[in-house]
Formats: sequence, structure tokens, C-alpha cells
Amino acid sequence: LQPKVLTLFGNHVRHAREARLQADRRYSLRQVAQRIGVEPAYLSKVERGEVAPPSEETICRLADDLGEDRDALLALGGKVSSDLREIIRARPKLFAELLRELKAAPDDAVLRIVRQVRDGDW
Amino acid sequence: MITLEDDALVFRCPEIHPKAQFSLSFQRTLRIPDDGRDYPLPPGLGRFSLRHIEDYAKRVPERWLRRGGIILPMFQAEAMWLSFGSCLSFDGEYPFALKVATGKINAVTGAPWSQPLCRDPQDYLVLPEQPWLDGYSVEKGIIRQFVAAPMGRRITVEEQLTGEAEWGGIQLLAYPMKRERFDRLEAERRKIAAEFSDLFAFESDGEPGDAFIATLRETVLEMRCSLGLAPGGRMHQQIFEDEFNVEDWDQEHGSRCFVTIANSADWTSITGEAMPSKPVTARDYAAAGLHWYDYYAEAPALDGSTVLQGVKSIANTWGDAGQDALDLVTSVAVGPIVQLGARPVREMQD
Repeated sequence: LQPKVLTLFGNHVRHAREARLQADRRYSLRQVAQRIGVEPAYLSKVERGEVAPPSEETICRLADDLGEDRDALLALGGKVSSDLREIIRARPKLFAELLRELKAAPDDAVLRIVRQVRDGDW
Repeated sequence: MITLEDDALVFRCPEIHPKAQFSLSFQRTLRIPDDGRDYPLPPGLGRFSLRHIEDYAKRVPERWLRRGGIILPMFQAEAMWLSFGSCLSFDGEYPFALKVATGKINAVTGAPWSQPLCRDPQDYLVLPEQPWLDGYSVEKGIIRQFVAAPMGRRITVEEQLTGEAEWGGIQLLAYPMKRERFDRLEAERRKIAAEFSDLFAFESDGEPGDAFIATLRETVLEMRCSLGLAPGGRMHQQIFEDEFNVEDWDQEHGSRCFVTIANSADWTSITGEAMPSKPVTARDYAAAGLHWYDYYAEAPALDGSTVLQGVKSIANTWGDAGQDALDLVTSVAVGPIVQLGARPVREMQD
């Protein structure tokens, strides 16, 4: 991975953790590392951009712990979640075309094709 | 618009503002004793599963389908709380006014369901200031916990107040703040951030038969499967006053959702998924010495609803309704209490 990706990912994680730490001491480097099942020294290196972002599972645990969106954090770490890979692999041509079509569409246009919770009579 | 993402409802109003969004999840929790004592906040023990109800069109009563929305599984006498969160990191959260009802009875005022916001008495929550809602507002700073109860036994708030067991479930309606008011709020936030920059660095397939029998069968099925909510034990919790004006809310862009509560025992037959695990009891939790939570903010809070105050809690209705005997009242010793700060989180990690 390019150093820029490492730094972006690490900075984002550190800022998110430190923002929570201001209000809650459980967000120290050591306690977060313990909760997500890694060594504090390793998490510190991740935050400093010295090592590649962790595995998909660890990034997901980190995202859950910090209240971050899993997909957004995975993307920042240069990864795509395995369920998304499966969805594309099942219908590669269709989804590749769809994603290219939507590449430059504004968020509200993309949101219009997302499945919505249907309201009824009540 | 409302989408279903990772067992949470995400409310978005992209036509108003890209930041106009929040998420709402339903947290499993302990049922606190209904013993007259005021308990601190119990933990969040994971999200209830949520599914689009139309995905199970052939397995649920027609009336559920007509309401639309989502379906979630609860055991009888299981407790829940509603957790509100921002989809955005850090600051910049977009304010919403949220109406919450159970059985179409407003959980803040005890009034029958209505769509417009009412300021006096205030019948809605203001997000993001309100981080969660655990129950019915019965006194200033006190709620009675949301507890799942069978329909047709006069246990639910809906039945006690209307005499009918028609709706059950939970009803939600969210209005975003008006764009121009939010822009002013953002300017105010930037000004404060600049001054304190170091602090802000960051069912049946048509079997022939007479219509009456079919309707009766459906009603029986519905009553057996669906749950409503009833008031349980008392808990410390403030419902915050709206610091804005009612005109600041954009009532032309509301998003609403009906949440049907299915009995967990029927979850597999409806969805084909495994039945959820049984909830942890308050006694087991307390015996394990795990944390409880407390959250107090220096902001004006609403008085509780006198209507809801008059509704009987489960300790006074459950046994009389012929329900299986349950220990609803034995007190538990509360373990260590965590004081929550400015960005309160009480969901326990998996």
C-alpha cells in the first residue's frame, strides 16, 4: 500500500479514538487494543502509519468499537468487505456496470436506488 | 427516506442537507425490577434483528403487511431501549425532532398518535441531544422501562388507555431541522469552535371458507404472534426540552416507520432464521458485578406525563392477566455505575 493510504488510515483511527477518549477513558490505546484483540504496540504502529492496516476482521472490530462505519473504515484501509466482494462476484458484469454508471452520481441520486423501508397505512 | 442498515434504521433527508441523517437501533437489555426503586441505566446488550416486513408477505398477517415498515423479534417480558446515533463522525450532527409511540400512544405524553409536533406539552425528542429512550416518561427525570407484553391481556399501554388491542409495536416519525435554521446553527457552532478550538479539535393462501372465519383466524394469529409494549420498572432518565422553536422543524419532510414486534417464539416460522437467544436477567447481570450507567446533563428536562403515570406497570398487570408467573419485582443490587460523559456510549461490546 502507498504510504499515503497508511497515513490516512492511521490518522483517521487515531483522531476517532482520541475524540472518544476526551469523554471516556475507556478509549485509551491500551483498552481499545485489548477490546479488539491486538497488541497496544501494534495499534500504535497502525495509528502512526508504520504498518499496513489490519485484517478485515480487525478493522470491523475497530470500527464497531469506535462507532465508525465498517465499510467506510475498510475503504480507508484500501479494502472491500468480503460480503461486498461476494455480491460483485455473483453478478460481476451487472455490478461493474452499475458501479461505473454511478461513479459520478451525486449522493442523493445514488440514495434514490437504495431499498427504502416501505411505509404503509397506520 | 429510511433505509435498513446493519440492524439499524437510518433516517436521511438528502433533499434537505447531506448531513441530515441519524441512525436508530433497538437495543436488547436487562428488564429492571418493577419494585418501586429507581434504577440506573442498564447496558445495551446488542441490537435486535430488523427485517423488511414485506420480505415475509406469505408468513405474516395481512394487517401487518398493510402497515409496512419493519419487523423485530422480542420475547414476552423482554426489555428494550432505543439508541440514537449520528451517521457522521464527531461534530456537525444534524438535529431532528423524533416522535416515538407504542400502540400509537405517544411515549412522552401518553396522548393518542398525531403527526404534527406539539410543543405544549412537548411530544417529541430532540436529537442529537437525546442519546436514547428507555421507556415512558412518567416523572421529571424518570421513565418506566419498555417491556414486551402480549396483546389482548390489558397489559400494554395502548390497551390500558384505549381499551383496544389494535396496533401494538412501535411507531416512529422524524422531522429534520429546516435547512436555513441548520445553517445558522452551523455558523454558531463554528463560532464556538473557533473560540474553544483546543476543545473542538476534532399467513393462509386463500382456503375456501366464509370471510368471517378467515378474519377471525387472522385476528387470532395476529394476537398470538404480535407484541405490544408495557411500562416496567423505574429508571433515571431525562427527556430534554426542545431548545429550538417548533417553527425550526421541517414538518413537510417527515419520515415515518411502523415497527411490528413479533414474538421471538415465532421468529423462525416467519423468517426461517434461528430464534434469538434468551435475554440475560437483571439478577444474573448484577451477580456478575457488571457495569450500570448514569447520564445526567445540565439541560432543562420535561416533566413526566400524568397520563402515563396513571398506567399500571407490569408488576400490577402481568399476574392478573393470567400470564405465566414471572419474577418481576425482586430487587437486584446494582453493581458499579459508570458516569457517562459528553458522547455517551452504553452498548456493551460483543
